[in-house]
Amino acid sequence: MKERTNLRERLLEGWGGWAARNWGKSLLLGSFITLIMTAGVFILSLEMTFFSIMPGSSSQVRDLKKIMADFPLASGITVVVDGREITDASEAEARVKAAVDALEQEFRTEKFAPWVSRVNGRMDREFFRTHGLILSEAKDIRRFTDLYRDLNLTPLLAHLNDDFEREYAGQDDNLADQEVTALSLFRGLEGLINLIAEAAGGSPVENPAIDEVLDTYLMGDPYFLSRDNRMALVIIQPTFTMEDLGPMVKGVTALEETAKQIAREHGITAGLTGLTVVGRDEMVTSEQGLAGSMLIAIILILIIMILAFRMFSVPWISGVPLIIGIYWAVGLTGFTIQRLNIMTAMYMVALVGLGIDYAIHLLTTYVQERDSGANFYQAVEASFRISGPGIITGALTTAAAFFSLMAARTEMMRELGIVAGLGILGEVAAMLIFIPALLGFHHHRRLKKGKEEHRIFQKIKIRTDLASGAGRIIARKPAATALVLLLFCGILTTGAGRVEIEQNLMNMEAEGLESVELQDTLVEEFALAPDGLFILASDLREVKALEKELKDLQSVKRVESAAPFLLLPEEERARREEIFRFRKTVAPLTPASRVDPEDLTEELYRLQMNLLELSDMAYLGGMEKMFLTLNRITGWNEEGDKETQTSLDGLIESLERDPLTADRLALLQGRIFPLLQEKLMRLASAESVVPEKLPSLYGASYISPVTGEFLMSVVPTRNPWEGDFRRVFTTQVESVTSGGTGMILASDQLNTMAKTDGAVTALVALMVIFIILLVDFRNLKLALLTMVPLAASFGALFGFMGYAGIRFDFINIIAIPLLIGIGIDDAVHISHRYRREGPGQMEKTIARTGSAVLLTSLTTIIAFASFIPSVMRAMRSTGVVLSAAIALAFIFSILLHPALLMLSVENKGWNIQAWKRRKK
Amino acid sequence: MKKTLSLFLTGIIFLLAPLSAQSAEDIIRRADKALQGPRLYSVSSLTIHRGDDVQPPQVMEGFGMEIDGKYHSLTVYREPARMRGTAYLMAGDDLWVRFSTTGRVRKLSSSARKNSAGGSDLSYADMGEGNQGIGSKYQAVLRGRTRLEGQECFEVELTPRRGSAAPYEKVVATISVEEYRYLQIEYFEAGARIKTMALGNYRTVDDTAYPFRMEMVSHTRDSRTVIETTTVELDSPRVEPRLFTTAYLESLR
Repeated sequence: MKERTNLRERLLEGWGGWAARNWGKSLLLGSFITLIMTAGVFILSLEMTFFSIMPGSSSQVRDLKKIMADFPLASGITVVVDGREITDASEAEARVKAAVDALEQEFRTEKFAPWVSRVNGRMDREFFRTHGLILSEAKDIRRFTDLYRDLNLTPLLAHLNDDFEREYAGQDDNLADQEVTALSLFRGLEGLINLIAEAAGGSPVENPAIDEVLDTYLMGDPYFLSRDNRMALVIIQPTFTMEDLGPMVKGVTALEETAKQIAREHGITAGLTGLTVVGRDEMVTSEQGLAGSMLIAIILILIIMILAFRMFSVPWISGVPLIIGIYWAVGLTGFTIQRLNIMTAMYMVALVGLGIDYAIHLLTTYVQERDSGANFYQAVEASFRISGPGIITGALTTAAAFFSLMAARTEMMRELGIVAGLGILGEVAAMLIFIPALLGFHHHRRLKKGKEEHRIFQKIKIRTDLASGAGRIIARKPAATALVLLLFCGILTTGAGRVEIEQNLMNMEAEGLESVELQDTLVEEFALAPDGLFILASDLREVKALEKELKDLQSVKRVESAAPFLLLPEEERARREEIFRFRKTVAPLTPASRVDPEDLTEELYRLQMNLLELSDMAYLGGMEKMFLTLNRITGWNEEGDKETQTSLDGLIESLERDPLTADRLALLQGRIFPLLQEKLMRLASAESVVPEKLPSLYGASYISPVTGEFLMSVVPTRNPWEGDFRRVFTTQVESVTSGGTGMILASDQLNTMAKTDGAVTALVALMVIFIILLVDFRNLKLALLTMVPLAASFGALFGFMGYAGIRFDFINIIAIPLLIGIGIDDAVHISHRYRREGPGQMEKTIARTGSAVLLTSLTTIIAFASFIPSVMRAMRSTGVVLSAAIALAFIFSILLHPALLMLSVENKGWNIQAWKRRKK
Repeated sequence: MKKTLSLFLTGIIFLLAPLSAQSAEDIIRRADKALQGPRLYSVSSLTIHRGDDVQPPQVMEGFGMEIDGKYHSLTVYREPARMRGTAYLMAGDDLWVRFSTTGRVRKLSSSARKNSAGGSDLSYADMGEGNQGIGSKYQAVLRGRTRLEGQECFEVELTPRRGSAAPYEKVVATISVEEYRYLQIEYFEAGARIKTMALGNYRTVDDTAYPFRMEMVSHTRDSRTVIETTTVELDSPRVEPRLFTTAYLESLR
């Protein structure tokens, strides 16, 4: 039974005809709208970092943004200088240090002033030379007093041995916790032993050499070196933060190019890492990915249009409104949200595949009408009358699905809902305005050239064979078709329970990003976790109290703050007391005139035993680098055998055999003594350290110049992005304070959002769509039947993801509302067409709609599949999920839905006509 | 009437609560029996996995017995060659170490008991408790039942007894219902699970089932430690009080 035309159909028919006849006015209308949208385009900004999609209402995200703004340290850039390729360890160390010096010098020049606020490749030794003791705890100052109560060689060694036995003997954890400090001490000690051995052997030793050895012994190496000294770090404080997108990209790129060049000049390599660098990489890779995706999608779609319609003018008739529609979507975004982030920008690519659908439906019907003998204007009017309602219902349901995202709690989802919904409406409006106008223009030009109308369309033949074939099978065996597809759906759905949520934000980044890979290097070579938590404290007392509790947590490696450098009054009092005692002990010391060879030999043997025991502990504790360093000093190998003769052995032998050795060492003692005494007295300054005098790396970076608040950085024991460790770390820190924030907590917010918002918005979308279908069809049974393929698609999609091991994340969760909005379209078209053609006409229904449905699904899949080649894994998985979603929606819409319609209407006798008509 | 009923119900709850607590204590007591022995001798191989790296296995001889109410244990390394002769002696909360390279014996502070034993994921305290059972330092509450490795199990939550030097703020033990065997022990600090011990390969030794495989997984470091026991002797003649002295430690070769 044929439906008579209703008001909507008549209006659409009228508009189509008028626009085709008055194509000039219609084009003018479209151009005017485009001009208005241009204002919106100019307002728009691009924010392509994960940070920009963090939920702004979350207190953790707000605190993190505040920290980023107030504390430049949080946006710090780390240059990793790598000399591991060089075989000779000393050569590697020398080159790495030279590169660090060169980088420091270069980044301090005027050229880098726009990007660099401060650069540090070395510890500020001068600061520690004068404040070393006041910054040490009272118990450590007491320890120093014991250690240096006699600066002659033998008692110095004796006290050092006592200290080793007290601090480290059997204390694996002490050694592990202070591994970097202990390594530094052993290297300093190695230098001192070598110096003494040289002097014992009669070699001349200059004062500058003694000076350097003593500095290294007392304060460690000034460079920030890795455990084996083949790598180093340079810390840069930039003038920009992650929020300053333009300067961030330019600045990081400029710094990176220079760092790599300087490293190359020294025969080594360098790379940059840090949150800001990762943010730059995200922006660059995602923008590249999107631009490429969009281009590929548009080209492929237009090629398919040419192949399907076999007419070169069809691409521009459909392509021009498509691009204009996207332009309108961007303009509308500029007026409403005023920015595009990763999600909404990705959606613009999806819009290519969605928008073209409307053109395909209109043009397919237009061509079919021309094939049936209608003239140009009749065909245009018919295409609007027949396909128009389905297009509008489809657009409304899709837009409704997107607008339902505004029910989400998170800002990102709400923004996506607005942008996506307006985008669909913009596209359908552009299609409805421009397609009849462009058809009319094309028709006018051909008439002017004197070409016959019908000749044009002889070229066009929309192939309906495939669709007819499918229609025949379904028409003959609807029950079997339905059963097979329901079984297919059921089997796939069994995998749905395996679907998980992606917890690790780093798994969503591009693979092989140097900035992300260097984070692992920081963990392995420098024992620095790439990410941790920040805490803001209002005063120093709070900082110290928190630090004490946090350090005890098993998941915390260390806590960085200004606390070690600023003292509370009681701390200052206690330390000053100890410093005065230290000064009183060291100041009056005088060098002895001789060295007792037997006593010294005994202490050297004792030192050897202490170092051996320490190497045992290092071996057991898996501290490989420490084990190797100590083995080098002692000459023992991994199997516990004495392998080489070391400086220490040579020194002992010399003392035992050569009577002159003691005299030479007495002379050396006379030179070391005053130098060491002077250095120790300088270290023992009791002057208070004030925040203004703190070197930037230690103090100013941790104190806000704006609010005076203190920043604490809690460094975890391992990479918090891996496995379940993040939960352990955040739970333990939360047991001390609820004020922690950081990217790991902020990303947890996004994961929560993926779970809860996904469910809520899906529910709202389904309800809204059902209502729209009910209003459109005015038949409850038909509305429900039309929802069935959507339900099947959902089950099958989840199952596919479960079996394929694809996880949901806060980006590909977009698949849910998209599937709801798009997946319903095909079934809507088929429902409309079947009702129009009548029972017993399923073959014809599918023949008429199948090709268009196939084409629209194909173009949508192409648009989404264009994400798959992206280097960003998040985009890649989104491409796979969305392509699979649309493919499944197509299968169930074109095969299952017609079968169920036939079974319901023709077998069961269901009435699917509109209520008003039934009453008549 | 209502008041009487609520008082009655409250009374019942208070009566039942200690019963369930007793029941949990009883479960722990029975499970601890498998780990205890009057004079325990064992030979085990301890392998530490750090990330993808596997350390060379450490082979150790273990001796344990109670003397004057205090549990004493001695662990002597036999492999690798570098560690041969290194030994740890624990007497109650006191701890000594003997270094094989120097032959010297050092007493460690009692706080060192919480430290990692030989770089593994077990602390000295864990090793000590492993030979005594965990019931002595913790009070138990039955949380309910669960299934693990296809077996019906009790889930018992343990918190430190007042005044005890228990090293963890909470322990959750999963014990098989049928045989009262520890299958899993989870250790908590500051609200988070920091380590999990899985016990398996139970074999009968002198009528007692003993776990011949224990694996401790650290949730704060990327590491796990596997202890595989090759020999266990209960009431072994090898175990004598003289072994648990510093003099014996110094005499080791």
